[in-house]
Amino acid sequence: MAQTMNRQLELPSGNGQDHRPLGVYTRPQGGGGWRDWITTIDHKKIGILYGAAALFFFIIGGIEALLIRLQLATPDGSVLGADTYNQVFTMHGVTMVFLVIMPMAAAFANYLLPLQIGARDVAFPRLNALSFWIFLAGGIFLNTSWLLGGAPDGGWFGYAPNSGIVFSPGNGMDFYALGLQITGIASLLSAMNLIVTVLNMRAPGMTLFRMPVFTWMILVVQFLLLFAVPVITVALFLLMFDRNFGSHFFNPQMGSDPLLWQHLFWIFGHPEVYILILPSFGIVSEVIPTFSRKPIFGYPFMVFSGIAIGFMGWGVWAHHMFVTGIGPISVAAFSLSTMFIAVPTGVKILNWLATMWGGKIRFTTAMLFATGVVSMFTIGGLSGVTHSVAPADTQQTDTYYIVAHFHYVIFGGALLGIFAGFYFWWPKVFGHLLDEKLGKWNFWTMLIGFNLTFGPMHVVGLQGMSRRIHTYSPGFGFEFWNLVETIGAFIIALGVLFFVLNVILSARRARGVPPVGPDPWDARSLEWLTPNPTPVHNFDEVPTVEGLDEFWHRKYGTDDEGRVVRVATADEVCQDGSATGVHLPSPSYWPIVLAAGFPLVAYGLIYSLWFCVPGAALILMAIYAWAFEPVDDPDSGHEDHANGVHDEGPDEGAAQDSEEAPVD
Amino acid sequence: MIGAQTWVARLLRAGIVGGLAVLVGCASDAELDTLQPQGPIARSIDTLSDPVFLIAGIVFLIIFGGTALIWWRFRDDHSTDEFPEQIHGDLKLEILWTVIPTLLLAVIAVFTLITLSDINDTEDNAMALSVGGTPVAWEPEIVVVGQQWWWEYRYYFDGLDGIDLSDTRHLPPADIVTGTQMVIPTGQEIELRITSRDVIHSHWIPALNGKRDAVPGRVNPWKLEAETPGVYFGQCTEFCGLSHSRMRMQVIAMEPGDFQEWVDQQVQPAAEPKSEAAIRGLATFEAQCARCHVVNGLNDENFEGADLVSNAAPNLTHLMSRTTFAGGIFNLYEPDGTLNRTQLEAWLRDAPAEKPAYSSGRRGMPNMGLDEGQIDDLIAYLQTLGESPLLETIMATEVE
Repeated sequence: MAQTMNRQLELPSGNGQDHRPLGVYTRPQGGGGWRDWITTIDHKKIGILYGAAALFFFIIGGIEALLIRLQLATPDGSVLGADTYNQVFTMHGVTMVFLVIMPMAAAFANYLLPLQIGARDVAFPRLNALSFWIFLAGGIFLNTSWLLGGAPDGGWFGYAPNSGIVFSPGNGMDFYALGLQITGIASLLSAMNLIVTVLNMRAPGMTLFRMPVFTWMILVVQFLLLFAVPVITVALFLLMFDRNFGSHFFNPQMGSDPLLWQHLFWIFGHPEVYILILPSFGIVSEVIPTFSRKPIFGYPFMVFSGIAIGFMGWGVWAHHMFVTGIGPISVAAFSLSTMFIAVPTGVKILNWLATMWGGKIRFTTAMLFATGVVSMFTIGGLSGVTHSVAPADTQQTDTYYIVAHFHYVIFGGALLGIFAGFYFWWPKVFGHLLDEKLGKWNFWTMLIGFNLTFGPMHVVGLQGMSRRIHTYSPGFGFEFWNLVETIGAFIIALGVLFFVLNVILSARRARGVPPVGPDPWDARSLEWLTPNPTPVHNFDEVPTVEGLDEFWHRKYGTDDEGRVVRVATADEVCQDGSATGVHLPSPSYWPIVLAAGFPLVAYGLIYSLWFCVPGAALILMAIYAWAFEPVDDPDSGHEDHANGVHDEGPDEGAAQDSEEAPVD
Repeated sequence: MIGAQTWVARLLRAGIVGGLAVLVGCASDAELDTLQPQGPIARSIDTLSDPVFLIAGIVFLIIFGGTALIWWRFRDDHSTDEFPEQIHGDLKLEILWTVIPTLLLAVIAVFTLITLSDINDTEDNAMALSVGGTPVAWEPEIVVVGQQWWWEYRYYFDGLDGIDLSDTRHLPPADIVTGTQMVIPTGQEIELRITSRDVIHSHWIPALNGKRDAVPGRVNPWKLEAETPGVYFGQCTEFCGLSHSRMRMQVIAMEPGDFQEWVDQQVQPAAEPKSEAAIRGLATFEAQCARCHVVNGLNDENFEGADLVSNAAPNLTHLMSRTTFAGGIFNLYEPDGTLNRTQLEAWLRDAPAEKPAYSSGRRGMPNMGLDEGQIDDLIAYLQTLGESPLLETIMATEVE
């Protein structure tokens, strides 16, 4: 380690320099600390980065939610003005969708997907790093709008022509149009990367139908992203031209139809809902079998219902537009397609229940969150059916009933599932468990707060409270439940605080204690074959897979009477992480440098096209240097397994330092 | 239609809606309640959605009860180390729980399609009216125009044939142009033609029907029907910028005879002001207000369109016959029937302070910089515009 420290920023020297053309640099050497994080191309570290960034944005989006609830706590509220309120609710939606739930799913996908299929890394490690940095650049860029004269104020849905330059003359919607184009690049790169990874990098024997349901759901999501993101990118691109270059794609004064925007937005926007929820379904499908001590019920049906949702998700977008005047035939068609997408979703719910049925359920925090998803998502799904009934939707749409619905889906479904994932895989990632007692406080406060916040929204919605109103008048019967909702929101905040406390306290408690050891949950899938935390090289040797739940089947067999018996302890089955000589790609500077160019170009498009020049130059330079970056630095070797995990927990470093050995 | 309510729907009324009523017990008058339809169209929607709520409720109870049962029955009580039976699936069950929801949804789909067709159908109905002494057979149609942040209602008693609604900024002159309050006859299906002058809005009177968006460049058909005279509240439900929450409206349904009286009043041009103050107010109006606001007989002949992004401000010819102003958010009258002078003065003094507006962006009424004398004169003039409504109307339409 000391040896690499000295050299980490060293530029080419010695003989090598003579042979290298301009702009070709050796790879960074890592070496611990922040430099290691910004140059990493390790899928696990990138997963952690995604998670950390998403949690940061989660806090921001959460504060925005609390501001909204404070404003609406009482009638004629005056906490925020109308203008600020519009910015806050827009950014709450944008942040939670694009900067929280999507990157949270990316965090789990990055960390776990290669491990679940027995791969060393994703197919394109540098591209993976680029995805993260571009996402972060886009997220930060979007949020700098707060400091630069005002955030977007046209809603996360940005309906034309209200999002146009005439009706939103500030720069806010430019940040929206450009920021989401930037994060879209990240999603696209990541989608291609993970699709290739799943299709090409599975361990021997890991056929598609031996993949864990989580991996399957992530695969479906990547295809959804691959086809959905270009559509919103087109819409945002047109919006950008309307706003900055005087085009009239969405200007009804010039004869264009503002419904074009809505079609483009929702052709992206509805698959987006499944992009948000399916990773969580995958997590739940891992957690429930583990803690029920049974295999997932109806594995092929779980997989195919996920695929079916992925396909049908493309045929329901206009249910967001039932009242826009698209005509009764379209309304009828989309009403029916929306109803029947409930079928595969229902199949999933019932299969989870059937998995638990007859099991031996251990109520760990992860399991509580997972079953929380099953019941809370059911509420969201059922209210979804009530507005698939198009005539009923003409009463419900754009009221708080809808707000209740999609928070039961996205919070009750996606976010609770992500928390289940945190508690379940924390030992895999950090080598220590999160505290179960605090975890249960976390779960129950969040669940109660969640239901207090969003449950009453069904009531006020049916009572006629419109969405996106910055205030309401007394006398419509909204007062009581709005106050309850605000109280509920603060209880959720308390739940999040318990989580943050748990992370800090558990890490502190784990200091100086050896890692948790293999298999804390008696788990089922391949990622648990590696020690906890996962060593930088993942698997000591690539496992050969013989079936679904490979890891579990290595631990258990059946006796003559068909009863499950243990055939090996986890210690015997798990690899010890001691392998040396596993080829590791070297870190790279270029992903972060390339990503840094995008916000510069975007600022340029808003303020002065001249600013685009340095941004574009940076991007071009980084692409050039990236392309000519040596495949490997002959000096560095790739022995440095231990460095990769030093920062995650100081405890395991000592154990692994002795294991590192040069390869070349 | 009430007779058509199934026992299921009735059960729901007693059950879930009753429960909701308890939940919202502190609500004095929930005027926007979607579960209290007051007209046949809204009722047919309600009749369709009630059983769906009920089915959803039952399914939820089954799933939730099932989860609770499973939690209790299959919890790990640590009595034995043995593994439970390892079941991988059951094809029959999978088929069962694919087919049953599909059938259930298919039934809902059939009723959905029937109601959908009902609420999109229009009937040929005509009511005899006299407009300025000329008898007409009016098939009730009202043009609804949304703009930031108020609603305009235009009545063309000769029908909409030949009326070009495509350029909302220069709509052909109408027999009656009013704002914020739509007056309709009871017992008649009123066809709406909904459009917008700027961004997308959504017109929603929950007691009479669901909502329909006002999309610039499009004329969306929709309809309303009220059975009994009364006031039905509404709210813009598509986010339309700064004062979206402040864009409200009411439907005032009248017996056909009363509606005829209302028409008779509305087709009159504005009265000539008589008092000194009102005449001075007229001068102020012409200097300051007439650039955006029309008063029939005063500036409608030479009116080119308001100096606003939407090109329109409320027509004030019969302002006093309405009971709310500023987009339906303030009462024009006190409960005793006198003018709500305080609020009107505040509005004329500094409108953006009373209702958020981008006044510098020519959206919403700007601060006209009037002095107190001008405000008094203007109010005197405005009071000459139209006849006061009945006290009971004032009471029924009271906002806030």
